[in-house]
Amino acid sequence: MRGIDYVAKRTAFALITIFVAITLNFVLFRALPGDAVSDLARVPRATPELKAALTKEFGLDKPLAEQYLLYLQQLAHFNLGISYVNQQPVWINLRTALGNTIPMVLLGTIFAVVLGILTGVVSAWRRGTALDHISTNLAIAFYAVPTQWLGLVLIIVFAKYLPTYGRTSISFGSLSTWAHIKDVLVHMLMPSTTLALTLYGEYTLIVRSAMLETLGEDYVLTARAKGLSGWAVVRQHALRNAMLPTVTLMALSLGYIVAGAILVEAVFSWPGIGRAVYESVFNNDYPMLQGAFLILTLSVVLFNFVADLLYFRLDPRITV
Amino acid sequence: MKRAVVRVVVLVLVASACTGSGAGGGGGGDGGPVFLKIAASDFIDSMNPYVGQNDDSYSAYQYIYPYLNQLDSSLNYVPDFATSWEHSDDQLTWTFHLVEGAKWSDGQPLTSKDVTFTYNTDIKYQDGPTGGAAGSIAHLIKVTAPDDHTVVFHYSQPVPTVLANVQQNAILPEHIWGQYATGDGKALKTFPNLPADGQPVVSGGPFMVTQFKPDEVALFERNPNYYGTAAQIDGFALQLFSNEDAEITAIQNGQLDAIESVPVTSVTTLQDAGIKVFIGPGLTERDFIINSNPDKTVHRELLNPLVKQAFEYAIDRAKIVETAWLGYAQPATTVVPPATGAWHDPTVQPLPFDLAKANALLDQAGYQKGSDGMRVADGHPMAYDVLFPGSERGAGDRAFQIIQGDFEQIGVKLTQRPMGGGAVFSTMTADNYTKWDLAMWNWTPPIDPDFVLSVLTCGQYGDWSDSGYCNPAYDKLYAEQGKELDPQKRQQIVYQMQKMVAEDRPYIMLTYGQTIDAWSPNWTGFVQSVQGLFPFLSKESLTSVHPA
Repeated sequence: MRGIDYVAKRTAFALITIFVAITLNFVLFRALPGDAVSDLARVPRATPELKAALTKEFGLDKPLAEQYLLYLQQLAHFNLGISYVNQQPVWINLRTALGNTIPMVLLGTIFAVVLGILTGVVSAWRRGTALDHISTNLAIAFYAVPTQWLGLVLIIVFAKYLPTYGRTSISFGSLSTWAHIKDVLVHMLMPSTTLALTLYGEYTLIVRSAMLETLGEDYVLTARAKGLSGWAVVRQHALRNAMLPTVTLMALSLGYIVAGAILVEAVFSWPGIGRAVYESVFNNDYPMLQGAFLILTLSVVLFNFVADLLYFRLDPRITV
Repeated sequence: MKRAVVRVVVLVLVASACTGSGAGGGGGGDGGPVFLKIAASDFIDSMNPYVGQNDDSYSAYQYIYPYLNQLDSSLNYVPDFATSWEHSDDQLTWTFHLVEGAKWSDGQPLTSKDVTFTYNTDIKYQDGPTGGAAGSIAHLIKVTAPDDHTVVFHYSQPVPTVLANVQQNAILPEHIWGQYATGDGKALKTFPNLPADGQPVVSGGPFMVTQFKPDEVALFERNPNYYGTAAQIDGFALQLFSNEDAEITAIQNGQLDAIESVPVTSVTTLQDAGIKVFIGPGLTERDFIINSNPDKTVHRELLNPLVKQAFEYAIDRAKIVETAWLGYAQPATTVVPPATGAWHDPTVQPLPFDLAKANALLDQAGYQKGSDGMRVADGHPMAYDVLFPGSERGAGDRAFQIIQGDFEQIGVKLTQRPMGGGAVFSTMTADNYTKWDLAMWNWTPPIDPDFVLSVLTCGQYGDWSDSGYCNPAYDKLYAEQGKELDPQKRQQIVYQMQKMVAEDRPYIMLTYGQTIDAWSPNWTGFVQSVQGLFPFLSKESLTSVHPA
C-alpha cells in the first residue's frame, strides 16, 4: 500500500509533538510569577487559614518534579484537575465552553469557506475586470478590519433585528428541543457572520491564485479546444485542482477552532472557550489554563495530521 | 451542491429570525408573568456559598437564602430570618429569635436546626473547606438551639461585630447540605448547588434559582414559600454581558431592563435615551501605595515623611476625578470610605494639590535636582516603578498619567509596570516586602471597618498587606477596636487609626468610586445602596421593584 511509511512517520511525529506540548504546557505555567492562591487572597473573603488550605489542596507546596508526575498521571486518566475558581472539574468547564464555541465557529468557518470559494472563483474567472478588483479588495478589506470593531458596527446596525448577545434568549419556561436549537442558531448568526467576514479573505486569495494557476495549464487549454464551455471548464477541471490548497487551509483552520474566536466571543457575550481562557488568565486559574491550552495544542496537532493525510490522499503527485 | 444547501439554510435562518420572536422582547405586562432582566458584567462564578468570590455571587445568595439579619439602605441592621435579638451583659451570649413556621422552597421546615447546622459546620471546618467563612465566625465556640425558633451563639470573647458578621453568612438547608459535611468536608466545596432534574435550587429567600448556565444567564423565580414579604415580580434574570456597547443598545431597545455597574463613558448616552441612571456613593476606593516596610533595603528615601508629604502635594485629585473618572468619583481622604457611614472620619483633611510646596519639601529633604531635572537621593536618581494591576486599567491608566506628569514637575520619574493582580501581589510580598517601591490598587471593603483597617497591620504580611506598613502603635489600636463593645468608643478608636494612616501615608488615597446603575423607566421601586440595585446587603431592592 502506497505510503504506509508516510503515515507511520506522520503519526510518530504527531505523537512526539503532543508529548513535548504536554510538558511545555506544564513548565510554562509553573514558571510564571503569581499563583492562584495569592490572587485569591486579594478578595475580601479568603482568610490566612483558607490560603493555607488551598495551598495544600492544590499541591502548590510540593516540589515541581512531584507536581509534574502527578500531572502526567492525572492526564492519563483524563483528569485535568479542578478549576481554582469554581471548584468544578476542568474537563466539565472546558467541555461546556467547547460545546458553545464549536458550533458557532464551525458555522462561521463554513460561511467563510463558501463565500471565499465563490469570490475566489469569480475573481479568477473574471481576472482583470472591475469585478475581480472589487471582489478581491473587499475581501482584503474585511480581512484587515479589526474583528471587534466590525462586531460593534454590526451590533449597532442590527441590534433591533437580531440578537446581539448571549447564546439563548431568556425564557422562563422550558423550550422544546427544536425551539431551543432554533433559538441558539438565531443567536449564532451575528457572531458567526462577523467571524466569517473577517476570515473569508484568506480563502478568496488562495482559491483565486490556485484557480489562476490551473486555468493557465495546458489541460485547460485542451478542454477549451475541445469545446467545453467556460463554466464547465472551471467546474470540472480548474476548481477541483484548486481545491487542494483550499482543503489544506480548511483543515488547518479547523485546528484553531477550539481556540474559539476570543474577540467575537467578547463582543457578543458568547460563553465560549475563548472567553473562558481569558477569564482564567485573569484569575491565574492554572488547571483551567493548562487544560485549555492542552486541548488547543492537541486539536492543532490533530488537524495538522489530518491535513497531511488528506493532502497525501488527494494529490497523487505526492510520493513517500 | 454544498453551496446551494448552505445558502438555503442561511435564508431559512434569516427568515425565521425576522419573523420569529427575534431579539428577546420585553418583560411581562398584559397579564403575563412579570420578569426583570438585569445585565451583569462579572456574573456569578459559583452557586456554592463556600466557593463563590464575585459580588454577583454574594448577591445571588442574599436573594435565595435566609440570613439572620440584613443592612437597610441607611446602613442599619434590621431583621431578616431573625425577628429580634439580644445579648447577655458580658456579650458572650447572643440570642436570636427566628420566624416561626417558615419553610424551604421544597416544603421542608426552615428552623433553628438549619442555623445551627450552618454555623457549626463553618466552625468545624474553618481550617479547611469553610475557611472563607472564618471571618464571620471569629471567636464563636458553638451555636445551640433551645427550640425550633431560637438560636444561641456562644462566644469565647466579646465581639463588637456580631451583627456585621451574621449579615455575611447565608443559612443553608441542612437536609440538602448535611450529607456533604462529613469526613474532611471537601464535598462542601465541590457540590455545584445547581438546579437539577427540573427542580430549582432549594431556597429559603424571596427567589429560587430555576436555571443556571455558567457564564451566561441565571434565572430566579419567586419562591412561594418565602417567610417574608413576597416580591412583586415573578422573577428576574441575570445575564452576563462581556461588551458594554451591547448592554447599552439592549437597554435602549427594551431587551434589557436594568444594568448594574454602568461604565462612566455611557452615562450621558443612557440619560439622553431616557434611561434612568442612579449615581451614588460606592465602596470602592483607589489608592497610591508607598512601600512602607520599615526594613526595606533600597530607596529608603521613600520612608522619609517629607517625601511622602511631597508626593501627596503633587497628586491632583480634582484632575483625576474630572479626567480619569469623567466626574463620577469623589476625591478621597481616609482609608475608610464615607459610604461606610459613621465609620468614616470626616475630620481628616487631605493635602491640597500644590507643586511648589512639594518641590520645597523635597528641597528641604536634601534631594537636589540634577541637570536633567530629576532629583537625586542617596546617590541614585529618584526614578521608581509603579506596580499596576489589571483591575486598575482604563480610568487608572489616565490617573497614572496625570500623576506621572505632575511628578515630573517635582523631579521624580515614574514608570508604569502593568501586570496581573497575582503578579503584583507576588512582587510585593517577595523577600518580605523589599522588592518594590510604589503601586496603585483599590479596595472594596465591607461596611464594617475592621477588615480594611486590618490590612495595614504587621500580622497581614504575606496575606492582605499590600503596603508593607508595620506600626506597633497602629496594631495596638486595631486590637482595641476589635474588642471595644461601646460603638461610640469604638468609633473614636477607628477615627484615631484613620488619622494615623493619613499621617504615615502608606496609602495616599486617590478617589472614592461611585455606584452607577441604570434602569428602564418602565420599572420602579429599586432600593439603591452603596452596592447598587442588586446588592448583597439586603433583600429589599428586588422584592420592592415592580413595573412603573
